[in-house]
Amino acid sequence: LPGTDEDLRLRPTRPVVLVCEDDASLRELMRLALGRDFDVVDATDGEESLELARNLRPDVILVDLMLPKVLGLDVIRSLRGNGWHAPVVALSAWTHLDREALAAGADRFLAKPFEPDELRATIAELLEQAA
Amino acid sequence: VSADATVAAPARRWSAVRRASGSIAGRLVLASAAFAVLVALAFGVLVATVTDLREAAKHETQAREVTVAVLALERLVADLDTGVRSFALTGDERFLRPYTAARTELPELLGTFRRLAGDEPATRLLADEIAARIRSYVDDFAVPLVAIARESPGAAQGPDAIQEDRRRTDEIRSRFARLRGMVDAESSRSAAAATDRARQAVAVGLAGFLLSATLVLLIGLFLVFSIGRPVRAAAGTASRMAEGDFSGRVPERGPGEVRELARTFNRMAAELEHRQRALERQNEQLRTSEQSKSELVSIVSHEVRTPLASVLGFTALLLQREFEPAERRRYLEIVDAQGKRLAALLDDFLDVQRLEEGRLELARERVDVAALLREQVQLYEAQSGSHALSLHLPGGPLAVVGDTGRLAQVVGNLLSNAIKYSPAGGGVEVEADRSGDLVRIRVRDHGLGIPEEQQEQIFTKFFRGDAASSGIAGSGLGLAFARAVVEAHGGAIGFRSVAGRGSTFWVELPSAAAGRARQD
Repeated sequence: LPGTDEDLRLRPTRPVVLVCEDDASLRELMRLALGRDFDVVDATDGEESLELARNLRPDVILVDLMLPKVLGLDVIRSLRGNGWHAPVVALSAWTHLDREALAAGADRFLAKPFEPDELRATIAELLEQAA
Repeated sequence: VSADATVAAPARRWSAVRRASGSIAGRLVLASAAFAVLVALAFGVLVATVTDLREAAKHETQAREVTVAVLALERLVADLDTGVRSFALTGDERFLRPYTAARTELPELLGTFRRLAGDEPATRLLADEIAARIRSYVDDFAVPLVAIARESPGAAQGPDAIQEDRRRTDEIRSRFARLRGMVDAESSRSAAAATDRARQAVAVGLAGFLLSATLVLLIGLFLVFSIGRPVRAAAGTASRMAEGDFSGRVPERGPGEVRELARTFNRMAAELEHRQRALERQNEQLRTSEQSKSELVSIVSHEVRTPLASVLGFTALLLQREFEPAERRRYLEIVDAQGKRLAALLDDFLDVQRLEEGRLELARERVDVAALLREQVQLYEAQSGSHALSLHLPGGPLAVVGDTGRLAQVVGNLLSNAIKYSPAGGGVEVEADRSGDLVRIRVRDHGLGIPEEQQEQIFTKFFRGDAASSGIAGSGLGLAFARAVVEAHGGAIGFRSVAGRGSTFWVELPSAAAGRARQD
């Protein structure tokens, strides 16, 4: 099946990470921090996040909990509700939201500010577990 | 003035009486006086009655004595009569013995009789007549008859002498009977009057006793109702107050002292209630300020952590990796911008702190609002790619007097809000003009708008409406700060907004010309 072979060859070899974050500086920071090891795609609000998640089927999703339009927690619930199994990392400056994030279906919670290395390590670890 | 004084004096006296009768002391004094008058009246009647009774007894004794004297005198007259008649008939000197004895006794008996006859004119007249007739009987008839009989016994034995004797003695006897009747009548009249008086005295005494008893009972009831009851009511209210309920009041009725007590008590209760309310209000304010403090901590935590994440993140990467000079410069610029964002945030909080403590100092310099708006619009236009900011200004400067930096912050807050609350992008229209003594600024967006139920609160510190849950950043301080600054400039701030269609915020500031005119 040459078509299939072609498709397999075209598949990106690096994992795709979807970053959902409304703060432009932080989006750029994450792109920079993760860009070496992953293909980074970003979204600025909840609606865009869900749309990109559906279309791109990324390997890992990073969700800021204070997203415009659809709240981060609702994005996670919606993903899990639609049978999404890939790892989800919740990010927030509201450090007290950790339990809620995990209850909504996030695999990890990272409080802002976070170390770029810590973020990268967390994603790598989650991908290893998922493999 | 003098006419007034004469009119006023009785009025004053009357009001003094009313004041006295209004107090417990006054009422008790009046009641005691009434009681004393009643007792005195009853006692007076009793004394009069006793005097009357004693008088009646004296009358009776006198009547008895008169009766005795009359009887003695009658016996004496009978003795005279018998002696004279027997001697005239017989001529025997022995028969003359009662006559002789009676004549000896006569003067003394007549004296006693007339003394006893008393002061009553009718009685005294009759007694005098009787005495005169007896004397006349003795002197004009008995003595001559005895003399005649001694000298010529035959001449005295005639029927004429006997007849004359009977006539005279009968007249005396009939007058005696009349006198006895008069004395008896007088005596029984006096006795009847005394009995009546005694009966009246008993009635008056009884009535006095009943009235006194009623009066004592009324005084008792008065004390119970006018003192006992209000005092019990005050005690009940006081015990409720002891349990913390200060809303109770006692009726301000009753006599002076009790009313005064009730009034003072109520004043005390009102004062306590007032203080308790003030304390509760203070507690509430403390609670609110505690709450806003914890909100502040939470907001600061979020607002600080986001730029801090950028600063620390980029710094870490810059330290770890090698970058091209252009790249490094870009990341350092981000660190710089985020660091400034943190500094601005800190300034905001400090400003609000100063606002709260009322020590935000404002410069008083000439500010051209037109230039200020141009700067701010340019600044915010550069920050947002998805919003189209437009500015409409009249020709020439729009001068106000105030603090350039603070006014720029106010405009910046309005522009920042217009952009933040129009997440879908779109136009933001800014315009300003001069209207009379006012310079007016309007910032209009076509964004989310403010739901009607939140419109009252949007100038409240830390109030952010649905912003937090919609992911719109901010401290909830911008509008509170803006209003404080505008009002400190003698201006006003307000808005019109329709949920889903956008908001228009306006600011009015006194123009520099108006300020100068006012100062002149």
